[in-house]
Amino acid sequence: MSHKLTFSGRISGFFFEVGDMSLFAVRYFREVFRGPYEFRELLNQCYTIGNRSLLLVGVTGFILGLVFTLQSRPTLMEFGAESWMPSMVSISIVREIGPVITALICAGKIGSGIGAELGSMKVTEQIDAMEVSGTNPFKYLVITRITATTLMIPLLIVFGDFIALLGSALVENLKGGVSFTLYFNKVFNALSFGDLLPATIKSFFFGFVIGLVGCYKGYHCKKGTLGVGEASNSAVVYASMLLFIVDFIAVFISDIFFEI
Amino acid sequence: MSKKKSQIIRLGVFVVLGTLLLTAALYFIGNRQHLFTKNIDLYSKFRNVNGLQVGNNVRYSGIDVGTVNSIQIQSDTLILVRMLLRSSETQFIKKNAVATIGSDGLVGNMIINIIPREGSSASIAKGDTISSFSRIGSEDMLTTLNVTNENAALLTADLLKITTEILNGDGTLGMLIRDKRLAQDLKASIYQLKIASTNTSQMIADLETKISAIDMENSAAGILLTDSIEGNKIRHSLTQLVTLGERLNEIGNSVENIVDEIENGNGALSYLTTDTLVVRQLDATLINIKESTKRFNENMEALRHNFLFRRYFKKQERVQRKEAKKEN
Repeated sequence: MSHKLTFSGRISGFFFEVGDMSLFAVRYFREVFRGPYEFRELLNQCYTIGNRSLLLVGVTGFILGLVFTLQSRPTLMEFGAESWMPSMVSISIVREIGPVITALICAGKIGSGIGAELGSMKVTEQIDAMEVSGTNPFKYLVITRITATTLMIPLLIVFGDFIALLGSALVENLKGGVSFTLYFNKVFNALSFGDLLPATIKSFFFGFVIGLVGCYKGYHCKKGTLGVGEASNSAVVYASMLLFIVDFIAVFISDIFFEI
Repeated sequence: MSKKKSQIIRLGVFVVLGTLLLTAALYFIGNRQHLFTKNIDLYSKFRNVNGLQVGNNVRYSGIDVGTVNSIQIQSDTLILVRMLLRSSETQFIKKNAVATIGSDGLVGNMIINIIPREGSSASIAKGDTISSFSRIGSEDMLTTLNVTNENAALLTADLLKITTEILNGDGTLGMLIRDKRLAQDLKASIYQLKIASTNTSQMIADLETKISAIDMENSAAGILLTDSIEGNKIRHSLTQLVTLGERLNEIGNSVENIVDEIENGNGALSYLTTDTLVVRQLDATLINIKESTKRFNENMEALRHNFLFRRYFKKQERVQRKEAKKEN
């Protein structure tokens, strides 16, 4: 039985979801500093989120660096500014493209995975069973996953940036005869703490957002197999959207503190 | 169990590698900004820093030796720039070095170039201030270029006016260009000039041949040209000639004065030459003298035949005859 929601109903539904997700986040922060800790599950989740995503992030990052350099090269050559390629690529990747692209990939892979996993657990009443057996499902399922994404996404972004720069260096080496040493020398000449630190700090927020949205959508999944799919899908959509909002706020704040 | 352990090991490797990468990146960036090296501070004062910012590189002879640490306005015309230089490289930078603000390439960041100067001086120490030199900024260059452009526009307008006048045949240049007759005259003149120059060169060649044919040692011309003693004599003679000329000139002047006086009727000569009555009287006197002389001769002849003086005249004849014989 389906019924159409009115416009005001949709608006109030959106605000309800935002408020509920905020409460979910508050609950996370309240529970995360309170024992007992599920370290084994945390490590397990870190492995799943970190190690299992490295290949995807690495390949995407490598291609990103490769393509970015190949596409920018003709334009820079037109101005006789090929020597600026390492500076341009490194600043773009480290500041913005690397963290955002990696986070979006992770939102697609990890966010949807968490949403589907928790959603199916909800549908099959495994979460209820955990509550009945005396295990805190929020601590076991949510805290570990959000913490794991918060810790692993920044590392994945670091790997992604590095591999993207390797891809760019490879193109420069093959097309422009620039040695890897010179390339990375120029990269570190161009970069400053103002580029790396805000990007690293915001990547923790990206990880938190991905884990939070995935867990929230899975944890509040509707009954039935349709609900699992919906939870998985909406986790990706909401996480991606929130990532851009967080990115905008992060850039805005870092502009004040680091004078970008 | 072993699967779990391997998973944890892999996770550990992942975390360690990720952290190392981040740390390395932070270290390299920090190293570029000389955060992990021992530094000394060096100051320089500029009138205009041309957009220099904190963190810009400081170079000594093209090598990065530090960064700009702070930029402070000291007065309305003076800006104090504090630089942090790696202490390991400060021994090479002397106190007489000059700091200039430049650009790293055409569109690069601003940098401070420390340029060494000649002469011996002690190495810089912590807190030293080195002199600065403000180069012309791009804005100044553009201002100058703007003035040059305006001048060029004015010049072009003037040039256009001049060329129009020339094309219309106005003015000397216009006449020179438009007048065909003048052009033909000019052509003819140039042709004559060409002939003259050919003749001149021919003359010079002849002169050279003649000069080379002169016997420099024996001929008079050679002596004149080469002998210094003869040269001195000639110079002396010439001096005398000049003196003589001057004297002749004086004489000439005197003669001129006399002539003037004669012409003006002063003196006896003028009287004689200009008064016709006197000349007529003088002529008559001369005729009288001539007649008197004739009569005197007749009287003398008569006297010779006189017995009183006959003896004396015979004696005179004898003496004359004797002298004539002696001579023969």
